[in-house]
Amino acid sequence: MKYIDLLNFLNPVHFPIIAIMLYFLGAFLIVLFGRNRIVRNCIAFLATGLTLTLLILLVKPILIDGGIIPYWMGNRVPAGGYAIGIALEVDALSLFFGLLVATAVFVAILYSFSYMSEDDNEPQYYTLFLMLAGGVLGMVFSGDLFNMFIMVEILTFAAVALTAFRNRVTGALEAAFKYLVVGCIGSTCILAGTILLYQQTHTLNLAQLAYVIPRVGGTNVTVAFALLFIGFCTKAFIVPFHPLAADAHGAAPAPVSVMISGVLTKSGIYGIIRLSFFLFQTMNLGTMQFWLVFLGSVSMFVCVTMALAQHDFKRLLAFHSISQIGYVLTAVGLATTLGASAGLYHAMNHTLFKGLLFLTAGAVLHETGTTDLGKLGGLSKKMPWTTALFLIGAASISGIPPFNGFASKWLIYQASYEKAVETGNIGFALVTICALVTSTLTLASFVKVTQSVFFGQLPKECENAKEVSWGMRLAMSILAILCLVTGLFPNAVQKLLTIPAGSALFNPNAYINGMWQSHLPETAAPAVQTVGVWNPTNWLILLMIALLSICIVAIASKYDAVRENKGEKVALKYSLFYGGEETEFSQVGGGDLFWGFKQNWRHYFSFMHNLHSGIVNDYSLWAVVALALAMVYALIVL
Amino acid sequence: MMTLNYIASFFLIVLGLYCIVVKYNLVKTVIGLSIMDYGVNLLIITIGYNPGGTAPIFTEGELQAASYFVDPIPQALTLTSIVIGACVTAMSLALVIKLKEMYGTLDTREIRRLRG
Amino acid sequence: MDMILNALKYLAYVLIFPGFLFCFLSGLLLCGIDRKLVARMQKRVGPPILQPFYDFFKLCGKETIVPAAANKFMFLMAPLLGLAALVVLQLFIPVFQFNIPAFTEVADVIVILYLLLIPAVSIILGGASTGSPYAGVGLSREMVTVLACELPLVLVLLSVGKVVGASYQGGICFSMTKIVEYQMSHGSLITHAGLIPAAIAFLLVIPGETGNHPFDAAEAETEICEGMLAEYSGAPLGVFKLNHGIKMLTMTSLFVMLFFGGLGSGIESLVALVGLTGTAAHMVSVLLAVLLLFLLCVIVTAVGISLVHAVTARLKIEQIFKYYWTVVSGLALLSLVLVWYGL
Repeated sequence: MKYIDLLNFLNPVHFPIIAIMLYFLGAFLIVLFGRNRIVRNCIAFLATGLTLTLLILLVKPILIDGGIIPYWMGNRVPAGGYAIGIALEVDALSLFFGLLVATAVFVAILYSFSYMSEDDNEPQYYTLFLMLAGGVLGMVFSGDLFNMFIMVEILTFAAVALTAFRNRVTGALEAAFKYLVVGCIGSTCILAGTILLYQQTHTLNLAQLAYVIPRVGGTNVTVAFALLFIGFCTKAFIVPFHPLAADAHGAAPAPVSVMISGVLTKSGIYGIIRLSFFLFQTMNLGTMQFWLVFLGSVSMFVCVTMALAQHDFKRLLAFHSISQIGYVLTAVGLATTLGASAGLYHAMNHTLFKGLLFLTAGAVLHETGTTDLGKLGGLSKKMPWTTALFLIGAASISGIPPFNGFASKWLIYQASYEKAVETGNIGFALVTICALVTSTLTLASFVKVTQSVFFGQLPKECENAKEVSWGMRLAMSILAILCLVTGLFPNAVQKLLTIPAGSALFNPNAYINGMWQSHLPETAAPAVQTVGVWNPTNWLILLMIALLSICIVAIASKYDAVRENKGEKVALKYSLFYGGEETEFSQVGGGDLFWGFKQNWRHYFSFMHNLHSGIVNDYSLWAVVALALAMVYALIVL
Repeated sequence: MMTLNYIASFFLIVLGLYCIVVKYNLVKTVIGLSIMDYGVNLLIITIGYNPGGTAPIFTEGELQAASYFVDPIPQALTLTSIVIGACVTAMSLALVIKLKEMYGTLDTREIRRLRG
Repeated sequence: MDMILNALKYLAYVLIFPGFLFCFLSGLLLCGIDRKLVARMQKRVGPPILQPFYDFFKLCGKETIVPAAANKFMFLMAPLLGLAALVVLQLFIPVFQFNIPAFTEVADVIVILYLLLIPAVSIILGGASTGSPYAGVGLSREMVTVLACELPLVLVLLSVGKVVGASYQGGICFSMTKIVEYQMSHGSLITHAGLIPAAIAFLLVIPGETGNHPFDAAEAETEICEGMLAEYSGAPLGVFKLNHGIKMLTMTSLFVMLFFGGLGSGIESLVALVGLTGTAAHMVSVLLAVLLLFLLCVIVTAVGISLVHAVTARLKIEQIFKYYWTVVSGLALLSLVLVWYGL
């Protein structure tokens, strides 16, 4: 009978726990055997690659067939209605987030192999990295509230340690400390919320809680909701927790930034979704929808304007990261099937394009040693690949068709405007406007980065820059290709991934039934109704035809017969035009751009600048105020 | 008796938060974090306590329907939480030492190179 | 065989009408008319109407110099990319009721708004790739202008979507075909009281979006030497000038289709009145529709671009931004509110 047990090991039921354990096992093995570089890289590669494979194998049973995999650790199935064992439960939503995590981790690890090769303490880096990955994966697969808290603590810890990993970089320690303090306030909130729920319901199992909470109610439960909500908000860095993300990203190594923005924020979003749609099922209340949409829109707008004012590449990207998370939260908060699907779609795209952008920022840092926009310029001639990949990422995040950012944002515009028309509430129309304008502001700030990092003039300090290694380019290219593919086939992506995951939000009873084998009535989510028209593949074919024919005409008419400087002494003819002055270095830096915009908003910008004081006490105060407001709001409306 | 516990835990949490928000010394911030943590631990223990209950330790066959004991789950949670709290303290103190080396001060108002 | 014929047909659409050739001719013609009109308004003689054509061919014959600091590929590709994007965009705008379903069902009006960013991005990338400081200043201003125009445009489009959507399932509608269809049966949208402020706002956005005077801070010749075009010469410069003409055509025809889309409803009956039937009738009515569209575009250009050009002085960039986000957006917002509450 032994071999049957072995085969049983390959049953998809075991895949979630194996996936989580692979990360932790990898972390553990690297501590033991990680001194040798090749062994270390192999372990990390295998752990991340196998996990990704396992999760892809789960797509069929869960996302396509709509199954739910419950898993009781040690086969301790519930007895007498009490969940004794620790449970994992993987439904479409969990798996969707799990896939995001595994993809981002895999790409980031590939990138780390060459990127981190010059750092000391490399084994520790991989250990922490895999622990962070395991923490997030464990959290999204967990079927137990307290387990979620433990996983949140593990990922916060690993993230803090990784932020401070390059502790000689300006601000790394400072960022880590701030993150630790506010992160711990958040974690404590989650713990307090968990225990208040336990007091009222005497269970920690998510499915059981989802069943019991709507039936008990009471002040304790409401307060618990506010506590958990704020706790998960700190993990997603929703306003007012956004400065932490900015600080942490600026100092952390690039692959860690990918993890923090692409993966860690998703764990917060996942928590908020589980909390609002499953545990409390509050999203059928208009007031809760308003609350989430409001928070999302504020994050979206405040962070994009903060990003416009930044002069550090990675800090700027960090603020954009939160701005995009604002889109996700807004879309999910609309509580329509289209909104949920669009929000999850954007969450996926955010992982892809933000990962790509952070990796290109890492490449720039790797080659030039700085991310200060004022000190960079003209890298496109030195790093053509990185430039092209950056442009793909920038076009994606700014919502330029046909890249993926546009596909999901466009669904979000529709979802919010449909909601507005449906409810007759003009507020949702304002959200649409806010989202559309934010998208253009995003474009503006990426024009700023493009001009001041990749184009413009090359400063003397950057003349030694060269193209990054193949390993790093490979990792970036994977993400760039995914950006294009998910943008070109929005219908397929929606059908395969986001609609199953988004529909799960409206059917919490399926989640309960899946875990408890009960037979609560399940409600099918309303069908997604799109009113817009957008066919990216046809558009791309048309564009390609037009571009090709134009190029053929252009080449036939000697368009490319140009005079250029062929290495000889720079003749006046090829130097830039300075109105008759002698040629000199005069790069228009990032800080000088968009004067026309900033002039009109100068009071706002100086106010925001002063507000983000960088003092940890202020950020803690914001957290406390946010907590108090959330409690008051929850007590009033729930 | 129990009410006093709840009040104490609430007081500890608020005191911890107050300490984090108001005190400008890094070490005091860490102390604040710890106090907050203790408050939550006290809360957990109090929630799991049944007045007059015995310790929840039974061997096989000993457990009967009439057994009256305190809820064991919160106690397990507290243990985990204490461990995590210790880790937080260790980690933050390590960061404080490094920060002191780098910035030469423990004043949060001077540790603000990242802002705006 | 059918497939090849079909492919050839679509290729003809892209290359001849309503694609490249049509855009080329009417875009440059529109430019010429605009220049002539401005000149007459200022009591000058002005250049001949065909001057943009002469300019274009002259530039194509000139030498192209790539600056030493420039990224050559980007420098040469940017104008072509912008041109291709604009030509494809023009395919999505129907000519009254005569649309090519395969094209108009590719993108709706919100997508068109975003596709309009691609030409702007291409000129920005082209300018940035030269490394010129003038281009740096220019692209910053171009981006702020785009940003300024975005808000009013969004508001206008949302109002239109709400009005048109009232008679379709789902309550909103952004499809160009349906917007025109609606106007065929309900009369042009300009007759809808709530949308009059939106139409005015859109008219005011046109010169900003095309970068015409007085909103041409991005190319201010006297100040920053044409900004992003400072380093361009020869054929690439010619293509950028062509793009400018096509963008004028795109914006004006978009305006016509959004607010005067009902005007073409009589064409078919008119043709039938003359006694034509079958293919000939269809050909003649398409021709008439195109002529009508072009005529309307000329009128919109005259009012929205030339007249504004003739009577104003160039604004500073922060004034442009302020103007669009207060006055024009205010009008558009008024329209949205009016439409929302059923006017």
